[in-house]
Amino acid sequence: MMALATVEKGCVMSNRDLEHYQKMIDGDKESLEAIYDKYEKLLYSFVIKLSSDPSLAEEVLQEVFIKLWTHKAKYDETKGKFSSWIVTITRYTAIDIIRAKKNESVSLEEETDMPEQQGDSVEDLVEWKEKSSEVRKAIDQLSDDQQKIVHLFYFQGCSQSKIAEECDLPLGTVKGRLRLALKHLKKHISTAEGGIRDA
Amino acid sequence: MRECEKVLDYFNHELTEKEREEFERHLASCDECREEIEELQLLTEDLPFSTEPVDPPEGMKDRVLGAVFAEKESDSQENNVVSFEERRKEETEPKEPQPKRNNQRWVMRGLAAALTLSLLGNILVLTGGDEEVANEPPAVDSTDIVNQRVQLQGEATDASAIAAMIRQNDKNLLTLQAEQLDQLQGDEVYQVWLLEGDKPYRAGTFVANENGEGAVAYSMDDLPADADWDAVAISKEPDATSETPQGDVILSSSL
Repeated sequence: MMALATVEKGCVMSNRDLEHYQKMIDGDKESLEAIYDKYEKLLYSFVIKLSSDPSLAEEVLQEVFIKLWTHKAKYDETKGKFSSWIVTITRYTAIDIIRAKKNESVSLEEETDMPEQQGDSVEDLVEWKEKSSEVRKAIDQLSDDQQKIVHLFYFQGCSQSKIAEECDLPLGTVKGRLRLALKHLKKHISTAEGGIRDA
Repeated sequence: MRECEKVLDYFNHELTEKEREEFERHLASCDECREEIEELQLLTEDLPFSTEPVDPPEGMKDRVLGAVFAEKESDSQENNVVSFEERRKEETEPKEPQPKRNNQRWVMRGLAAALTLSLLGNILVLTGGDEEVANEPPAVDSTDIVNQRVQLQGEATDASAIAAMIRQNDKNLLTLQAEQLDQLQGDEVYQVWLLEGDKPYRAGTFVANENGEGAVAYSMDDLPADADWDAVAISKEPDATSETPQGDVILSSSL
């Protein structure tokens, strides 16, 4: 029963996203604002995790919403959930901007003043609230090496050769190790969800 | 490095522009690589939700949305195609105090994400009667059926194009409409190519009008009838005689 309720809620949520998105395409500012309100905190927090730089996070969000508003990034509902799409666009925007800054030889490696992370906050985004502990638990179940490779690849956006160097692996085995770690992760998440959402 | 070994670096935008173009050509014909990228996308989709919440700073929403809405207005005021070169000039202008989009190039880079997704099967196959089909130029005294319709995208350009393969009275037509094209110089033309594997076939030539718009309707009768097309692409050519692409491919889509 729980699982079914979750699935139904998920459907309602993504329909509302789609509705907002379609109105936004037609130039409706309030719909863009609704999307912004819903995803602001997730995307902001996500970029900080990617970049360790709060000042950059605002710039990235601005770029992401410019892409939405000017139709430079287009969502196609047949390819997946809106939430997955908008975090993907955000990740690439962040990766590209971080790389641009690095090329300008501004080091982002040193952590700047990080805003305080909240303890147990209630986020507006139901999906985030539902998934966060599951995904964190699933990550915790990976071995240290697996966590490291996932972190380097996904959150740091490292190149294959950088990952090989950091993990002390031959270049040719990086992809296999990464896929294995990600598959383990997905399995743990699916198990936690009762496998319903992946069905 | 073999092309198939570049999947991770492609996924993370680590390839140079040239490498990326090469890889995308490879991707059009390598199911395995496409599947791997799709798989990476799927396997990583939950990871953002592991993020610990951080409160955005005061006033961020007003600043961000203010800049976003200003963007659209200035875009429509320009009303003309801004060439890549002109945008580059903008980049070198002094930065304003507010966090501002400081680098148009990185918007372009970001589009590679959109392109990645489009290569993963953002292909609309319409069966006719759809409102989007109604936008195609009307044909006289025949019932046209759209067999396949794709949107072409490119990284280093604002241009976009829609291509459709149309069945018309037992003949196959390729139609293509493009907009926001850069202006051509001298004898330059835009050339449409259909690719089977790595082999390009000419599939129509056109020029951009002063509004940066161009279109082509090409009879596919002269092309191999049994060809299994992998991709459609547009390149800028020095003149209308190129038998293979001499200039850069500016827009493409898998089929």
